[in-house]
Amino acid sequence: MKTTLTLGGCGLLLGFSLSRTGFTDYGELSRMFAFADLRMLWVFAGAVGLCAAGFFLVDRRLFRPTRRIHPGVVPGGILFGAGWVLCGACPVVPLIQLGEGKLAALFTLLGVALGTLLYRRVHARLLRFDTGACDS
Amino acid sequence: MSLFEGYWPAWLGAIALAVVCLGVFLGTGRFLGVAGMLSRLLRPRETERLRALESGLADAETLARAMEEAARAEFGAACDAVPALAERSDAPAARPLPAAVPRPPWIALLVFVLCVALGGLLSAALSGTLSIRWDLGPAYERLLAAGPGAWALLFLGGLLVGFGTQMAGGCTSGHGLSGCSRLQPASLLATACFFGTAVLLSLLLSGLAA
Repeated sequence: MKTTLTLGGCGLLLGFSLSRTGFTDYGELSRMFAFADLRMLWVFAGAVGLCAAGFFLVDRRLFRPTRRIHPGVVPGGILFGAGWVLCGACPVVPLIQLGEGKLAALFTLLGVALGTLLYRRVHARLLRFDTGACDS
Repeated sequence: MSLFEGYWPAWLGAIALAVVCLGVFLGTGRFLGVAGMLSRLLRPRETERLRALESGLADAETLARAMEEAARAEFGAACDAVPALAERSDAPAARPLPAAVPRPPWIALLVFVLCVALGGLLSAALSGTLSIRWDLGPAYERLLAAGPGAWALLFLGGLLVGFGTQMAGGCTSGHGLSGCSRLQPASLLATACFFGTAVLLSLLLSGLAA
């Protein structure tokens, strides 16, 4: 129950704040990526800094490297970066855009869902490298 | 400054995102990662099966006992030379890592996704920008495409986002926020890759459109 309430509250704040900072607006996003407007870069950098301080206060052991650099990190990152520019969305954004009434995000959401399911198959049949986790 | 007019200044956005990231960790014991949550949401049966498996291994003592039992089953009398874990005075005081807890149930993931969309609805309604529309605004049309062409491109981009985040093992929240803030090398590398690619492609597109 605590988990469900936490995720509900955090989801609400995440959707609201990403919408209010401009991450669902393609114009703002492309200005960030082209360094024409640094505001959203500072949102992200500031959040990383605050999270680092928070995790440090909770438990320093959280900084031990646990995530393996597996063969999918670089190509996966590149594909995601290209997709982000083409659809203007990281995985959470189409959900927020739908809330805002931008129905074109249905196409984005469908793509994200199919891409997510497709990768599992491609990984199991073709790639099969060790990700360092039982599931990912 | 108004909470509901125009876009938030950077400091306010940073605080809100950090509250979400740290809040998910403190409230659920797991790191925020939307790509992983979507993947698990799309596979309800597997999510519940893994959750049942994990809940048996969540605390360090149960895990140690299970391993000891398995060792005895495998090696039998040879294990008698080693004192049982419970009798050893030098047994390390088990202080479990805060993240060693079972993953959220499927229903909690569904609640999360619905609340994210509700957050977008509230933001648009309170700022007076709520409108049902099938376009993504003038910037998208200028840089990429309009109408049905835009929908095809949104689908293709979404496909790359879904595939790429699963391949890299995280997205902007999992690698970018949760991972980079804990200086995880894999997350710093993944973030450099997706951000670098996005910057190069955006500069290329704005060059082409100019």
